[in-house]
Amino acid sequence: MTRFIIRRLLAMILVMFVISLLTFLLFEAIPNGDPALRLAGRSATALEIQEIRHKYGFDQPIYVQYGRTMKNIFTGQAYSYTQGFNVLDEIRSGLPATLSLAFGAGIIWLLTSIVVGTLAAIKAGRYTDRVLTVLAMIGVSFPPFFLGAVLIYFLGYKANIFPLGGYVKLTANPVQWFTHLVLPWFTLSVLFIGFYSRVLRSTILDTINEDYVRTAKAKGLSERQVLIRHILRNSLIPIISLWGLDIAQVIGGGAILTESVYNLHGVGQLAAESIGKLDIIPILVITMLTAFAVVFLAAVIDILYAFLDPRIRLAA
Amino acid sequence: MRRYNKPARIAAIALAASIVVAACGSSSSKTTSTPSSTSPSTAKNGGTVTLLMGTAPDSLDPGMGYTTQAAEPDWLAYTGLTTYAHANGSAGGQVIPGLATALPAITDGGKTYSVTLRKGLVFSNGKPVKASDFTYTVERAIKIPWGGSGQFITAQIAGATAYSTGKAKTISGITTNDATGQITIHLNSAYGAFDNVLAFPSLGLVPTGTPFTNEPNNPPPGVGPYMITNVVPNASFSLVRNPKWTSMNIPGIPAGHVDINAKISSNIDANTLSVLNNSADIFDWADTIPGSLLPQLKSQASDRFSQVDLGGSTYYIFMNQKAKPFSSQLAREAVVTGLSQPAMNRLGSGTLAYGCYFLPPAIIGHPSGTPCPYGDPASGGNIAKAKQLVTQSGMAGTPVTVWSETRQPRQAWMTYYTSFLNQIGFKATQKVIADATFFTTIGNLKLNPQTGFADWNQDFPNPVDFYLLLSGAAILPTNNQNFGQVDDPFINAQVNKLGAVPTSQLSSVAGQWQALDEYTAKKAYVAVFGYQTFPKFTSTRINYGAAIFHPVYGWDWSSFQLK
Repeated sequence: MTRFIIRRLLAMILVMFVISLLTFLLFEAIPNGDPALRLAGRSATALEIQEIRHKYGFDQPIYVQYGRTMKNIFTGQAYSYTQGFNVLDEIRSGLPATLSLAFGAGIIWLLTSIVVGTLAAIKAGRYTDRVLTVLAMIGVSFPPFFLGAVLIYFLGYKANIFPLGGYVKLTANPVQWFTHLVLPWFTLSVLFIGFYSRVLRSTILDTINEDYVRTAKAKGLSERQVLIRHILRNSLIPIISLWGLDIAQVIGGGAILTESVYNLHGVGQLAAESIGKLDIIPILVITMLTAFAVVFLAAVIDILYAFLDPRIRLAA
Repeated sequence: MRRYNKPARIAAIALAASIVVAACGSSSSKTTSTPSSTSPSTAKNGGTVTLLMGTAPDSLDPGMGYTTQAAEPDWLAYTGLTTYAHANGSAGGQVIPGLATALPAITDGGKTYSVTLRKGLVFSNGKPVKASDFTYTVERAIKIPWGGSGQFITAQIAGATAYSTGKAKTISGITTNDATGQITIHLNSAYGAFDNVLAFPSLGLVPTGTPFTNEPNNPPPGVGPYMITNVVPNASFSLVRNPKWTSMNIPGIPAGHVDINAKISSNIDANTLSVLNNSADIFDWADTIPGSLLPQLKSQASDRFSQVDLGGSTYYIFMNQKAKPFSSQLAREAVVTGLSQPAMNRLGSGTLAYGCYFLPPAIIGHPSGTPCPYGDPASGGNIAKAKQLVTQSGMAGTPVTVWSETRQPRQAWMTYYTSFLNQIGFKATQKVIADATFFTTIGNLKLNPQTGFADWNQDFPNPVDFYLLLSGAAILPTNNQNFGQVDDPFINAQVNKLGAVPTSQLSSVAGQWQALDEYTAKKAYVAVFGYQTFPKFTSTRINYGAAIFHPVYGWDWSSFQLK
């Protein structure tokens, strides 16, 4: 287990280093992306631009700038160039909304896709399967910004059932927290439900013909027991793997559109705003957060694998 | 220049909402001019209102904030030595004394400005205001640096450049006397708009000792009817009434009626619906009502919504005088003659007011009664005539690159413009640049951009603020603002001469500014395609008639009151 953790930590450091370096260099390569020009504003003089360049250290070699930026990030002193805030503080304040969105939607899309995928598999080729297939395709095809706008208009404005956006902290008002998140959860889940249910259906249909399933049936186990203990348990392995990576992506700012449409002020919305302003420091920190979340959750998933499939051992 | 920032992703959200509410149809909204005085209704004090902003202020610290979203609250929390009248229409563009007892006394051929600080002034934290706080405030704006400090401070105040570059410990051009409250400012040369400069919220006084760093989360104390509190970056902030303000009794600057919670929400569709159904109270003036929701507003909220032409911004297409084909006046005339403003207006959801002059309607010198030299802009372009002019110019078939931002409707405007150029005989292609780097890209002189989108929103209501964009002196290697590289001796001479006339005497040279603006239009140096109108939209809770739509700062938050 110790070797496993060390290996994961080393992988995480490597991934974060490569991603941070690539992101940093990418922004350096953007034509006319000189942050001093943008910081100085449209009516700045050449002298003012030069002073800003010197003040922020943009006139130093690229490796010095990269090193200083990393040092600032790891000492909690990373400040946005264009917005002036402490980036880690800002991410910290956005994380509750993002985590609420990610885990709430994650539970919804995981459970729903298990039910839908299993139903589609056991009814394969029948009317129910066809209807579920069409619904899954519709779900996959619905962009979150469109679905969000539709839901806000009809369920928020017209029917006045849900708020028109915003986020209320769980500790401030649990009921308001819930009502503000119902539509975002649904919006984010729809796409994943469609995708996950199709993957699960396909995996179940493959697993159904495995020898150990036939053996289980021959032992006289009921259909329900075979389905839950043998077929579903093994079929869930790729789903759990996907789930972990998708949750990590959402935590790392991947729900940009959902957060922006519903104005949740989470990490995704911060990423969107920073990209729009070419504000490199928040973008750097968010991409590193994503890398961290992906590697961390991938490790958690590996442990879950071992639980779901005894043939898998961490030592392997 | 203050910028109307709108994230590009709003376009996607707006598009989605457009589809959702397509059944409502679409139409242009009514454009109105604001009345020139405030409503006589009796003010009701107390309560809190919610204002929705599509874009966060760049910083609420006056030493840094430069966007419209920053200026709106900062204006009320950081009063300068001068400020603007709290009134609708052109009356609101009038400079009045702020923390100074009177407007500056201008001597030495316009190079020395002298004022006396009012007695009994205190910052919102209770600290007394001293004359030397002004020097400190200016120094802080230079050091942070505030986006306008180069153009309006270091270029104007004597000794400011030496201070900026570290060659001096203070600004030699500013002298103060804390005992008498006397403040004297020496300029490098006469700059008539300096009264306006003193009114910038960035020169609104802050206490000596305030850190020389941007403090967006905890803006410093100021002197004004409001205080900025509860700042959550990019999410919300509050303006609460300053209890110390009333006792200072400064004429012309009223105390506010309500406290204001400002919430940042980038989903403009949701913001519109929230104000429409009264779950929020004020729609920020710098945001644009989605075209798909305009009919609903017209039918359901006609008593609390209108599109107002504040007359302080010009949308135009720059045409490079130093590069083919627009080095030819006939080629430029072809563009101005053939471009259809009604088509551009449709692409902008009907938010443009027609016009052909560089100075917008609220700025002194705008030729309001003079017909446009190349046809009535409201009637659509004359394509046949434009084709003929292109042929005459000998520039037919010249390749043209049209530079454009990604945000809508600016990109759509330039797409239309590109197809129009092809229609009249050029070989045009569109080049789209990310919003964040657009102006730095086209402002790089090495690129020598041929033509593309440009806009200017007044820093203050003075024609010199616009004409510096067309002055030869404004052509710079980087961050160039004179995108068309206009370098006309007549314009240069007039800008130098008229720019020295103090703001308080502008009316005496209005005719000369008008002649200059007519000359610019005849030369077709730029293709103006309209003046931006802004939404004045509130919930039913707000006394709509009493709410002031200010020509410089948009909403005057101190005029909000509950019914």
